Amino acid sequence: MENNSEKITIYVMGKKHMVPEDLTIMKAMEYSGHQFTRGAGCRGGYCGACATLYRKKGSYKLEGALACQKIVEDGMYIAQIPFSPAEKKTYILDEIKPEAATILEYYPEVSRCLACNTCTKACPQDIMVMDYVQASLRGDITQAAKLSFDCISCGLCAVRCPAEIVPYNVSQLARRLYAKYIDGPSEHVLERVKEVEEGVYDQDIKELMTASKETLAERYNTREIDLNE
Amino acid sequence: MTKLAYYPGCTLKTTAKNFDDSTVASAKALGIELVEPERWNCCGTVHALAKDDVMHHLAPVRNMLRVQEMNSEGQVDSKEMITLCAMCYNTLKRSNQTFNEDSDKKQKIQDIMFKEEATYSGSVEVKHFLETLKEMGWDKVKEAVKTPLTGLKVAPYYGCLLLRPRGIGIDDTDNPRIIEDLFEALGAEVVNFAYKQKCCGSYNTVHMKEVVGDLAHKILKQAKDGGADILATACPLCEYNLGPRQEQVKVQYPSFDSIPVVYFTQLMSLAFGLGDEAMAFEANRPDPRPLLREKGLLEE
Amino acid sequence: MSDYISGYPESMQESLRKVAESRANRVGKQFTPMTADERHKVLEEYHPDWKMDQKRELKVGPCKGELMPHEVVDILEAHSVIKPEDIDLSNIDYDVDVLIIGAGGAGLSAAILANDNGVDPDNILIVQKLRLGDANSKMSQGGIQAADHPKDSPTLHYLDIIGGGHYYNKPELVEAMVKDGPDIIKWHEELGVLYDKLEDGTMQLAPGGGTSRRRMHSCKDYTGVEITRVLMDETINRQINYVEFTSAVEFIMDDKGQVAGAVLYDMDTHEYKIARAKSTILATGGFGRLHIQGYETTNHYGSTGDGIVMAYRAGANLMHLDSTQFHPTGSAYPEQIVGQLCTEKLRARGSQPLNIEGELFVYPLETRDVEASALIRECYGREKGITTPSGMKGVWLDTPLIDIIKGEGTIEREFAAMYRNYSKFGIDIRKEPMLVFPTLHYQNGGVEINVKCETNVPGLYVVGEVCGGVHGKNRLMGNSQLDLYVFGRRAGVVVAERAKTAEIGKLNLDHLDRYEKWLKEGDVETDRKSPILLPEYRGKKTLDHQLKLL
Ligand SMILES: Cc1cc2nc3c(=O)[nH]c(=O)nc-3n(C[C@H](O)[C@H](O)[C@H](O)COP(=O)(O)OP(=O)(O)OC[C@H]3O[C@@H](n4cnc5c(N)ncnc54)[C@H](O)[C@@H]3O)c2cc1C
Ligand code: SF4
Ligand code: SF4
Repeated sequence: MENNSEKITIYVMGKKHMVPEDLTIMKAMEYSGHQFTRGAGCRGGYCGACATLYRKKGSYKLEGALACQKIVEDGMYIAQIPFSPAEKKTYILDEIKPEAATILEYYPEVSRCLACNTCTKACPQDIMVMDYVQASLRGDITQAAKLSFDCISCGLCAVRCPAEIVPYNVSQLARRLYAKYIDGPSEHVLERVKEVEEGVYDQDIKELMTASKETLAERYNTREIDLNE
Repeated sequence: MTKLAYYPGCTLKTTAKNFDDSTVASAKALGIELVEPERWNCCGTVHALAKDDVMHHLAPVRNMLRVQEMNSEGQVDSKEMITLCAMCYNTLKRSNQTFNEDSDKKQKIQDIMFKEEATYSGSVEVKHFLETLKEMGWDKVKEAVKTPLTGLKVAPYYGCLLLRPRGIGIDDTDNPRIIEDLFEALGAEVVNFAYKQKCCGSYNTVHMKEVVGDLAHKILKQAKDGGADILATACPLCEYNLGPRQEQVKVQYPSFDSIPVVYFTQLMSLAFGLGDEAMAFEANRPDPRPLLREKGLLEE
Repeated sequence: MSDYISGYPESMQESLRKVAESRANRVGKQFTPMTADERHKVLEEYHPDWKMDQKRELKVGPCKGELMPHEVVDILEAHSVIKPEDIDLSNIDYDVDVLIIGAGGAGLSAAILANDNGVDPDNILIVQKLRLGDANSKMSQGGIQAADHPKDSPTLHYLDIIGGGHYYNKPELVEAMVKDGPDIIKWHEELGVLYDKLEDGTMQLAPGGGTSRRRMHSCKDYTGVEITRVLMDETINRQINYVEFTSAVEFIMDDKGQVAGAVLYDMDTHEYKIARAKSTILATGGFGRLHIQGYETTNHYGSTGDGIVMAYRAGANLMHLDSTQFHPTGSAYPEQIVGQLCTEKLRARGSQPLNIEGELFVYPLETRDVEASALIRECYGREKGITTPSGMKGVWLDTPLIDIIKGEGTIEREFAAMYRNYSKFGIDIRKEPMLVFPTLHYQNGGVEINVKCETNVPGLYVVGEVCGGVHGKNRLMGNSQLDLYVFGRRAGVVVAERAKTAEIGKLNLDHLDRYEKWLKEGDVETDRKSPILLPEYRGKKTLDHQLKLL
């Protein structure tokens, strides 16, 4: 790819670099000679490894983004936050209940939430972080799970929270509780598992396994396709 | 139906669900639909009261903002915000007052709340459900009664937060009448007792069980001595300290005889004939149902 | 589109207008699927796999003579990054029953099942090049297949897999997949994975390319994120040992010819460490970051094919590496996200591929290889692609149809990630189409295994994308997510059993010397070293991926 883009100035941990203006923060850092070991993961906005804090030229506001998703701007100061120090509590899912007391037992600091909304503003996924923290606080596990679903554990909310809450750990607990106890299993899945265990499909599958390539092709090409809901 | 914004608060969604259920049901019986905001957060309670810095006003102010939004979207019929929990009421009301009276703080709060959906203007009016009832008129309440609480001796218990500080309290600090009036309208016999405004011991219940045991004993004994069958309260913390904490009282005072403690809205639901789900007595300890059956107010 | 500001440059506006104008007429219109002959022709002429000049025969080791892409041969015909004489095998840093290399879905499942079957958490070690779970597994959007709907059956699933794989799959592996499938979903639900459901509590199932039934289970378009984070959470709950930012670089063998652990490289401190293990499970995933034929890739940063290199040096058999999966729809614009996946489910839910004239030109749900070839043909055979400012070509994927067909709000709900991703670059996929072109997606082949995940080298187990044989020469959407858990779990059970009896002999790295001999015998003269661990993107290379197309 020919790159004729204008060059702009960025500061990576204070160090000045000139980079093409249309790069993401991640690519701009690589362009300036960094090879990531930490701070890069999926490179597509799914893993949260590349959490980054930055300030723009002329602004006092500290902002957060995923380095793989944010385009550099002239005069940007950049620091990656590849790790947010926090202990994930350990629990046995089978032995806990989907209620406020569970959340408060493992993460009592949730009750310190000031409802300042700093976390929401820091979230690169535009999640209503404060709202899911508050929902877990009052035991609304369903709401906490649903609101937090798009969380990718980047940690930006946690480093910004004045009450020192680690929202993504709280919501992980809430989501597992919701899925297991409130949403629950699908009956038809359990049914099918039973059928397989009873050997209902063994005969048919054995037949296919020993069939010749021609027979298989014949059966494959003439198989009934039913994609109706 | 009049639609009013209703802020339940965390406790009514967890340990005091019976307060929530009985409130929504009895309001409905009076032609009021209580509408919960889609988004709300903890009132800010302990923090907002203990400290006076701006950060701690964000939680209450944000809740008022939600009601303001409901208002501007026409989801409710007035700028009132109905609360139940005495702690929430107190926190929200005081914060709203600070916001409206201290322009410096108001400015700072608005600065910190940048990039939000809207800016709070101070327009919301924080109210306790009891005030709504009073404004509506006790006659209206009387009209809704199907099973008058005849023969039931109720001791109204205010605790501290409903009446203090002056200017925030829902009624006269020294001579409150509001719960008394309610129960008279419901057909009960009101028992006046000296400790009805005394503090229940509040959060000491966590670390100083004995202190709370002592206080509860004093309050409950006084009410019983005055002839009360049952206590009615408007605060989840009071309910806990006077109800379930009777176990502790018994440890400290073995001769103590228990007495049921319920939310005023539960007795309203009973008087309005709203059914088990609304009354939700099964969550109260000690269980008030034997007493109510004995009085012929509840079917076997 | 009057009040809407387009995220696309002026040069594409005319074509966009045609797309918008023809949209209403295209609702419900279906392009006829190709016949078997047509499929064969388009594959032969346009599929990257069929371009023989992009491949060469491997000259070293037991698979000598097999055709593979140059980029794969390059890492196989290379010296080890370590010299045996520099490594002190007497100083053991970790001594465990089970060593698991790679913490994607496959590795994590193996760890949990090994623990379930009696291996103490302290006796398991997971080593992971990046963070726990930063892997291809997390990136899956579309979903996971399992035949659990009453209208579906494991038998039908079998037929779809083997037909889709052009009958090259190993039958017993396919059998394991389709029979374990429903149980995997059950297991996930027990662990607290939140699948999309219909109102009545049944699974919301979507069709996929080459499936005869709706069989795709999803968790919005964060399927991989959701499953992986639950498995990570569970792994940590069980206090299973793991070390992050540590790569395996070579296996260690013992004097009985078994794999007996691995040499590890601490990416932070640059030290080598020794892990000795009774059984070793290789779960390092694929090779997208090798950029086969210069293609952009959907894969995560760590998918550099380390596993096949290490396994081959230890004498393991490789299969089907001549075939690579190109996903039909990778981003072709905006520049910043070129190559990233636009899930197949977008087509399953109703969006259509269109050329520069806004015309349909292919059935949207052909198998991936056929669909990809048709897109390449449209751009480079029929010259009906749309050219981007950087000279790349692509075709439209008309996403606004999804909301029209499935109801407003569908895109935001079911494609939250995709919608968010594009919004950041000013493109609202509810209102404008996406520009797409095939992208390097999946390593079809790999290390040969049997149903117990065993290889021809004792002590070495292989699971997930790094193994071969499961999908034949073409994988269907949603079957990889399934195979991870099916074989990950199976391997966990097998190694737990083996831990009871296996004994490790004296450690050595003699296989590396043997490999040097193979290199000499094959007349390979090179200064290349592998595994490469991380792709090289520094400096100008950041901008450097140019398709070596046609
Ligand atoms: C964008 C995208 C979308 C996809 N969508 C779907 C889908 O919808 N449905 C479907 O079925 N499949 C999908 N797939 C395919 C599927 O998700 C992957 O094939 C699968 O997740 C691979 O899992 P794995 O555990 O084998 O490898 P991975 O998940 O890649 O995990 C391997 C891990 O090992 C680590 N590792 C690599 N080398 C070393 C080393 N030397 N030492 C230590 N650690 C190492 C890697 O960093 C990585 O974390 C998708 C793939 C991608 C990339
Ligand atoms: S909620 Fe927190 S951890 Fe999750 S994506 Fe948002 S900022 Fe990151
Ligand atoms: S930043 Fe912390 S204190 Fe503020 S709203 Fe979020 S969780 Fe609560």
